[in-house]
Amino acid sequence: MDIQAYISSGKLELFVLGELSVREQEEVMKLAEQYPEIRKELDQIEEAMFAFDNLSGKAPSTSLKAQVMNTWEKEVKPAASNQAIPSKAEGKVVPLQPWKAYAAAASIVAVVASVFAIYYATRYYDVDQRLMAMVQERAVLAEELDNYKVNYEQTDAQLETLLTGNFERVPMKGDGFEMQKDAQVDVWWDKGAESVFISVNTLNELDENSDYQLWAIGDDGPVGIGLVNARQKFSLQQMQAVAAAGAFAITIEPKGGSESPTLEKLVVLGPVA
Amino acid sequence: MEEEQLIAGLRAQDRKTVEYLYDKYSRALFAVISRIITDHDIAEEVFHDAFIKITRKIDGYDESKGRLYTWMANICRNAAIDKTRSKEFSKSSKTNTIDDYVYGIESESGTLELVDGIGVKELLTALNEEQRFVIECIYFKGYTHSEVSEEYDIPLGTVKSRIRAAVNVLKKNLEKI
Repeated sequence: MDIQAYISSGKLELFVLGELSVREQEEVMKLAEQYPEIRKELDQIEEAMFAFDNLSGKAPSTSLKAQVMNTWEKEVKPAASNQAIPSKAEGKVVPLQPWKAYAAAASIVAVVASVFAIYYATRYYDVDQRLMAMVQERAVLAEELDNYKVNYEQTDAQLETLLTGNFERVPMKGDGFEMQKDAQVDVWWDKGAESVFISVNTLNELDENSDYQLWAIGDDGPVGIGLVNARQKFSLQQMQAVAAAGAFAITIEPKGGSESPTLEKLVVLGPVA
Repeated sequence: MEEEQLIAGLRAQDRKTVEYLYDKYSRALFAVISRIITDHDIAEEVFHDAFIKITRKIDGYDESKGRLYTWMANICRNAAIDKTRSKEFSKSSKTNTIDDYVYGIESESGTLELVDGIGVKELLTALNEEQRFVIECIYFKGYTHSEVSEEYDIPLGTVKSRIRAAVNVLKKNLEKI
């Protein structure tokens, strides 16, 4: 830009005279910062104005200075040291209006937040319940799986026992007796290993005070070799070892079994072939 | 005292600095007022209030917006103009409108007679008619350049260039004094 043209436009004089708008004042200040020539010109005009003013008028009365200093001492100086307090008090008056707006805004935010909170709390409760149900279900499944596993291992062990041993099947039937005509229980006997298993096919369940007891009938008479669980059907139940026997029989005995069989309550009998 | 030091002292409301300010600037600032207000007592009263206002408003002074003297002179000029526009003043003053003022110049008994400083008469007479007219209207009497332009049908640019020319003449002649 043409600085000389700007200087000679008369704008700087108007600036010093306080005749420019705020926008124009800012323009002059900005240019004065940017161009030392303009700054220098401004300074000269200001100095000229001051010197001119200083020369051109009467001085005020000498008593005026004391008067001015007196007023200053009374009004300006004490106000300056207390300035912090009144300005704070003033500051408190202004935010009254915005405070209401903030309160209104804050309450709206609070309501919205509460709605969200309730919604998510409900969601959380739902999900939590579903999770609990799934955890329980999983526990049940795990337990079932355990049971199946135990059953499988038992069955596997029994199968292995049957396949590896030299077992003879001794069927015992109830059709010759009054107690249970359709009763049918098989004895599996490995004579070499002296081991005995039975498997229940059909056998009525008993009350709590009675048990089925298996007897091996040999040369020395019947010998109790174990209690039979009627509920455990089609699986092997190991009995006590037997070396020699002519027949096997099951009677109903008081809970825990007896020393000798109650022949009146003979359920099944099977002779060894 | 440097201007920065002076401003810092004023902001701290230091008594010695305030006294220094008074000693250095009171005559010039009083001149600004008494050009607008011819009554010596009223001018002193306005000056008293304006000076107190300066010490009170010093925190609001922005160095980047111009030098201290310009700022203070503006406060004094505005205080004087406000006073001339007050009802109380209208009653006691005879020469209050621009027409009266111009009449004063024409009668050759206006500003020049108010001016009391040594060599200032010479300074003002160094200006030509046009330059003296705008300076007297604006600088002495407190009219804005656009008011002068409207009132006397002088283009704004012309008012500006006359002001500039006048200030230039004053500047040169001040160096001689």
